[in-house]
Amino acid sequence: MAKKWGQRIRNWMTQKMDLPQDVMMDLPRVTMIGQIHIYIENHRGLLAFSDRELRLLLKQGQLIVKGKAFVIKTIMPEEILLEGKIDQVIYINDNPGGS
Amino acid sequence: MKNQWSAIFTGTTKVKVSGRGIERFLNQLTRSGISIWNVKRHGAEAITFQMGLKDINQLRGPARTSKCKIRFIERAGGPFFLKKLWTNSGFLLGGAAFLAVIIILSNMVWGIEINGASPATEHKIRKELSQLGVEKGKLQFTVEGVDEIQRDLTDNIKALTWVGVELQGTTYHLQVVEKKEPEKPEVLKPQNLVAKKKALVVKMFVEEGEPAVELNEYVRPGQLLVSGTIGKEDETKSVPARGEILGETWYKTHVDLPLNSTFKVFSGKEKRNYYLGTGGKDLKVWGFGKHQFKQSETESNQNPIKIFKWELPLSVKKETIREREVVVRIYSEKQAVQVAKELARRDIKSRLPEDAIIKGEKILHQSIENDKVKLITYFRIIEDIAAGQPITQGDE
Repeated sequence: MAKKWGQRIRNWMTQKMDLPQDVMMDLPRVTMIGQIHIYIENHRGLLAFSDRELRLLLKQGQLIVKGKAFVIKTIMPEEILLEGKIDQVIYINDNPGGS
Repeated sequence: MKNQWSAIFTGTTKVKVSGRGIERFLNQLTRSGISIWNVKRHGAEAITFQMGLKDINQLRGPARTSKCKIRFIERAGGPFFLKKLWTNSGFLLGGAAFLAVIIILSNMVWGIEINGASPATEHKIRKELSQLGVEKGKLQFTVEGVDEIQRDLTDNIKALTWVGVELQGTTYHLQVVEKKEPEKPEVLKPQNLVAKKKALVVKMFVEEGEPAVELNEYVRPGQLLVSGTIGKEDETKSVPARGEILGETWYKTHVDLPLNSTFKVFSGKEKRNYYLGTGGKDLKVWGFGKHQFKQSETESNQNPIKIFKWELPLSVKKETIREREVVVRIYSEKQAVQVAKELARRDIKSRLPEDAIIKGEKILHQSIENDKVKLITYFRIIEDIAAGQPITQGDE
């Protein structure tokens, strides 16, 4: 319950005070350059990596990037730069059935 | 996002990780602050990535806790490059030696060419040059500058009127103009001989012309001595009057000589410093330590280093510090008078032509005041007082 309250207050504050949402709400910030680069900030760790799929843990849920010939150019605790041919970016919400 | 290019200097390595839970292992790595890049998947159970050499030690912790196998498969960057260089240092040494030899050879004197000199003079010049240290095989830094060589040659070789010294690459080119001993100018134009200064005629030797004065006659400056117009009144002819008219002339000299005087002289002790300079900055390469001279004078000259015919932006500077001493000279009164007389004689000689004779001298005044000898000397001189004066048409 307390977590939910905190979430609500944050939501309200960002709306009222016009703050950037990624800062306040710990959302990932995804920058894509065409199909070739994807830059994801604010992730919570690597879950799976192959040359066709990248799976990242977020604060809420997961992010899946699908494509071909993936190479992680840089990886830092909260940032990742992926190179390759990106076909899809998929969000998976935190539901009880998820991983 | 950081760039990894700086890791090239500190060294990088390529790591192959195989096993299960590779992703977890990567997460551990990034959380402990290791930066990795170029992560690639190789099949189901292996990935490769690159990391900086400085983070290798931190790899140990995560590697223990995970069940992955780690192998280093490639090394690159600074330290490895240096290691490779060290094993191949022979090549590097060879290259450096080659460059050094080229530079040394480019800065040697390889030839001395002398143009416009007769064999005798050329021999003299070569001898003088070798005394100066300008010889084949000498380094140009040890040789004095072109201007000094030029000055020295013109000073020391009488037969030279002018010598142009030029350094072209590694060869000295000397352009020589020899002195032609002037032949007696043939006097062709009619002229008179007149007196140059006030004198008493003591000897006359007339080659041509008609004497206008007699022995023991006083003459004024400009007075006609030998006339170039000869013949009877009706048939006069103008000839170039020639001859030597010796006259007694008088000079007065004043000499002031202080009894005590101080001089600055070099003691002969010197210290040499060598610098390697580039772009206005100098780096001392030889001659460390301070000189012990109380007073000194510094002379420095700079030589650019050349490679083939081009000058490098490097130069060698030689600095010579010479010790200077102050010497006090004290004359006794007697000595001072003696020296003053000598000075007076030297003074009068410098004012007279070479063939003049001092016939007598007389001290008119001698006093010692304020530590100074004052001497006025009177000289009687025998010298040629004749000077040519052309007879122009319509003058008569």
